[in-house]
Amino acid sequence: MAELEDRPGHKGMFTSDLSVNEFLLIKEVGFHPLGFVMGSSIYHLGIQTRRWSQSQELSKLTEAMYEARQLAMDRMDAEATELGADGVVGVRLDVNYYEWGADTAEFIAVGTAVKAEDGRSYRNRQGKPFTSDLSGQDFWVLMQTGHVPLGLVMGTCVYHIAHRGLGQTVRAAGRNVELPNFTQALYEARELAMTRMQDEANELQASGIVGVRLEEKSHMWGAHTIEFLSLGTAVARSTGDFTIPQPKTIISLDG
Amino acid sequence: MTIRDEVRQAVTALASPPPATSGGAIRGTTSDLTIDEMLLLHSAGWEPVDFVYGISWWSVPWGAWQWTTGEVQEASSAFAGAATQAAKQLRESCERAGGTGVLGVEIGVRVSSHHVAIELSGTAVRRMSADQHRFEFVSDLSARDFVLLDRAGWWPLGIAAGASFVIAPRRTAREWASQQGQNVELPNLTQALYLARERAMERMQRSGTAMKADGIVAVKLREGRASSSVRVIQFVAIGTGVRLRTASHQSIAPEMVVPLDERVRQFDVKSLRGNTPE
Repeated sequence: MAELEDRPGHKGMFTSDLSVNEFLLIKEVGFHPLGFVMGSSIYHLGIQTRRWSQSQELSKLTEAMYEARQLAMDRMDAEATELGADGVVGVRLDVNYYEWGADTAEFIAVGTAVKAEDGRSYRNRQGKPFTSDLSGQDFWVLMQTGHVPLGLVMGTCVYHIAHRGLGQTVRAAGRNVELPNFTQALYEARELAMTRMQDEANELQASGIVGVRLEEKSHMWGAHTIEFLSLGTAVARSTGDFTIPQPKTIISLDG
Repeated sequence: MTIRDEVRQAVTALASPPPATSGGAIRGTTSDLTIDEMLLLHSAGWEPVDFVYGISWWSVPWGAWQWTTGEVQEASSAFAGAATQAAKQLRESCERAGGTGVLGVEIGVRVSSHHVAIELSGTAVRRMSADQHRFEFVSDLSARDFVLLDRAGWWPLGIAAGASFVIAPRRTAREWASQQGQNVELPNLTQALYLARERAMERMQRSGTAMKADGIVAVKLREGRASSSVRVIQFVAIGTGVRLRTASHQSIAPEMVVPLDERVRQFDVKSLRGNTPE
């Protein structure tokens, strides 16, 4: 061990769930992995009554889904801060359900804490390590184009979509018609989730959000209650001039 | 030399066994590498030797899962024992085949209420210009990853693994009642599972430190139900210990490419190999 500790730039041993490609690309942009970090929270979700025929946001469930994820991410952040990291890359957010827990779910956030080798600080404007769900490859490309990640931003909305009334079902039977209440409900729920994500990005003074994903899941609530989760990495232009390298076009001859 | 002599010589060469290495007679090469990987290995000065394996089963005493709370120590130590034993067998199997390293190791972990079984299988490889036959590494990395690491100045050492088995604590009736219909975190469950995960990773780290690794890459955290009880959860962390072989990290100089094929791949790692002078 003594031999390892003496080596410049190496303090202890790192662990990382990055693949070899990702690891080498992270090194390529001047970062060194510090350790695999994680946070979790097992959360009991409250009950909210839904009206059969009303489309509405279930704010109590939205709150629960948001807060539980936030708790997990904060704990991951705390681990990264303790390691002295500049950021966390390759963040994954998972939800586990266990057979022994009715109405409970485990929210997990994992990622690899990284630190810049040139000693510059890449922490975001709140002084916290940046988080990003970009892969090592995406991270490399992002840095090549003169951007830095600021944080993983998310917005969520649990929405109950009204069932159709009897009259409406009968009228629509056998015809080509739009179902405006479904359209409206799904649109609004998505919009709410995205807007909340954008608000988080604005708070970080981001110039944009990349890699946005919109996930729709019913979890354990039945078909008419859906969680819309939108996730992305808020980015900002880094200081200094950057010329974006011209990518080479290739035609691969395999397969 | 006439054609006749040449043919005769070839036939004699075929008839006589190939030169023995330290591992004894060499059979034909068996490997689960793809052609690409084989070529890549050859270009890096390595060749596959044989398909090797190591298997170890450890028993877990009956009742270990039932009458405890918190961590199931017997299962955790059975895992550690099985992992060490399987790695040792893999190494011996590799040395017998005349290899000096094992690549692309598949790791199978099976846990039942009576035993923990670990199965490792991979392709033994050796340097083509080998005059030394010292055992060098075991790794679950692919041949491509191995060559990339090598270019960047890193070297795999071995498989680092750690596991922890935990029984999820129960909530008291009062806790259960007070939480009905509420949005609340369950702190004791959160903590129990968090600690179990942390312990699995710590054990993996310790096995990395033991092999004098600079780091562990490609860590995979597997979790799920173990044994017949739904409350027992297993966490297994597995990765490859790596070490910087050169004085400093070598750049692999990646290039940005846009593939013009119809089937768009977002990122092609083959192009990462760049144009390093051979």
